[in-house]
Amino acid sequence: MAEQTTILSIQDVSKTFDDRTVCVEAVENFSLEIYEGELVCIVGSSGCGKSTLLNMLAGFTQPTAGKLLLHNEEIVKVEPRCGMIFQAYALFPWKTVRENIEFGLKMKRTPSAARRKVSDTYIKMVGLEGFEDSYPSQLSGGMRQRVALARVLANDPEILLMDEPFAALDAMTRQVMQEELVRIQKESKKTVVFVTHNIEEAVILSDRIAIMSARPGRLKQLLINPLPKPRDAAVRQSAEFAQLKEQIWNVVREEVLKGMR
Amino acid sequence: MNKERRGTPSFGRFRLKEVQGVLAQQKYPLISFVSICVFFLGWEFLTTYGWISQVFLPSPSKIFSEAVKLLKDGTLTADVLISGKRVLGGFALASLVGVPLGILLGTSRFLRAVFDPIISIIRPLPALSWIPLSMLWLGIGETQKYSIVFMGTFCSVLIYVIEATYKIDPIMIRAAENLGASKLQVMKEVILPGALPSIISGLKVVLAIAWTCIISTEMVGASEGLGFRIWNAKDWGNTPQVLVGMLGISLTVLAIDIGFGAIEKRLIPWQRT
Repeated sequence: MAEQTTILSIQDVSKTFDDRTVCVEAVENFSLEIYEGELVCIVGSSGCGKSTLLNMLAGFTQPTAGKLLLHNEEIVKVEPRCGMIFQAYALFPWKTVRENIEFGLKMKRTPSAARRKVSDTYIKMVGLEGFEDSYPSQLSGGMRQRVALARVLANDPEILLMDEPFAALDAMTRQVMQEELVRIQKESKKTVVFVTHNIEEAVILSDRIAIMSARPGRLKQLLINPLPKPRDAAVRQSAEFAQLKEQIWNVVREEVLKGMR
Repeated sequence: MNKERRGTPSFGRFRLKEVQGVLAQQKYPLISFVSICVFFLGWEFLTTYGWISQVFLPSPSKIFSEAVKLLKDGTLTADVLISGKRVLGGFALASLVGVPLGILLGTSRFLRAVFDPIISIIRPLPALSWIPLSMLWLGIGETQKYSIVFMGTFCSVLIYVIEATYKIDPIMIRAAENLGASKLQVMKEVILPGALPSIISGLKVVLAIAWTCIISTEMVGASEGLGFRIWNAKDWGNTPQVLVGMLGISLTVLAIDIGFGAIEKRLIPWQRT
């Protein structure tokens, strides 16, 4: 990566949930610059505030302290330029695959002919030809997540926020989806912020890896992933891969133990 | 199949097997059919042979001939049509106002706070209790009939719709907003279709309430309709006609239910599989 333009800037962000009975500090003094076109993985044990961070980037919730900037402008409301992919897919069950994918464009009142052209492109990109008129309930988990991905891509956001998107998939489907994501990111050149608790997944996908501490979530360590791309099956067998995994695991392990106390 | 046919020794036995197959397949519908036949035959038997007095309970054949008579002079058809029209009219009006308002109330805590106390006062009132007031205001014309159905069903519609909006997964609303949907678009594109299955099952219950409303109103003040026919027949001691009227209600409600089911399938195609 020669030129590094900051697209997203997380500046000293804290988030506290206070519902009068309990006060939970989810994220504390978290800072991170995210560069255009890169894929950053945020790794941490469950409950460390990774999803909270992502929700703030999408504008679903606001930080208690600190700032989140997109192109130097503060994110103050739901931000369509940061497209969210949810673990639970969040597809509209009453819409067909095509209608789901065209949703964002329909909201912008794009004429239907133009919508169709865009949806055709993304249906092809995620490999769902022949399922255009199926309803989500008729699809497998992997296919549903492809629809969700196409739906967000069709809306042309600058950043993809992915909240453990493959966690609900079986191991084989997950591996296929990871490869697809790498390919799609290469094609679309989107910036991706990918939250996961799966270290191997982070190593396979990322340009950089941000490891979060146990709650309250702070930035524990920021690593540059040195593994060469593309990372095919052979990379998974390499010594460097195992070493990097080990290195991350040692940091995460400490935090998991802290979180359990 | 072919092999079996060749192997079966006698034609008669093969036929028997086929009949048995059909019987096994249609077992439960067949049981239902036999059940209704036994019900009417038993009724016929008990009444014709004097076990039960015909004045007290007329036989099915008597009721049938009364129905044929009423059908021939057109009164039964007219009654069914007018009652059906009143029910569907009032019900449609209540749904047309209740569904959008319910969705608004379901999504806005402010509006809910405004309307909640008013609904709480109106809701416990049975439809019957509106009859005197509606007669004072509107007389006994058609407007009064529609308004009784409306008053009797409106709050139920509202409550079913509000409940239905609560059942939507909030993550879907987030996803829609993230894809650029405005508040109004979220209501139209996410909350309405998401709540639709529950709304429709609620409306089915409300439709039954609407029938109660109209039959009681017609009994109190009307010159046509199934409720009036039954009440009028009672005044003349015409038990067969009372029963024809009741059966008329039964069959009309059944027919409308079937129609409603067909509409439901068209409105919720994603649940067909």
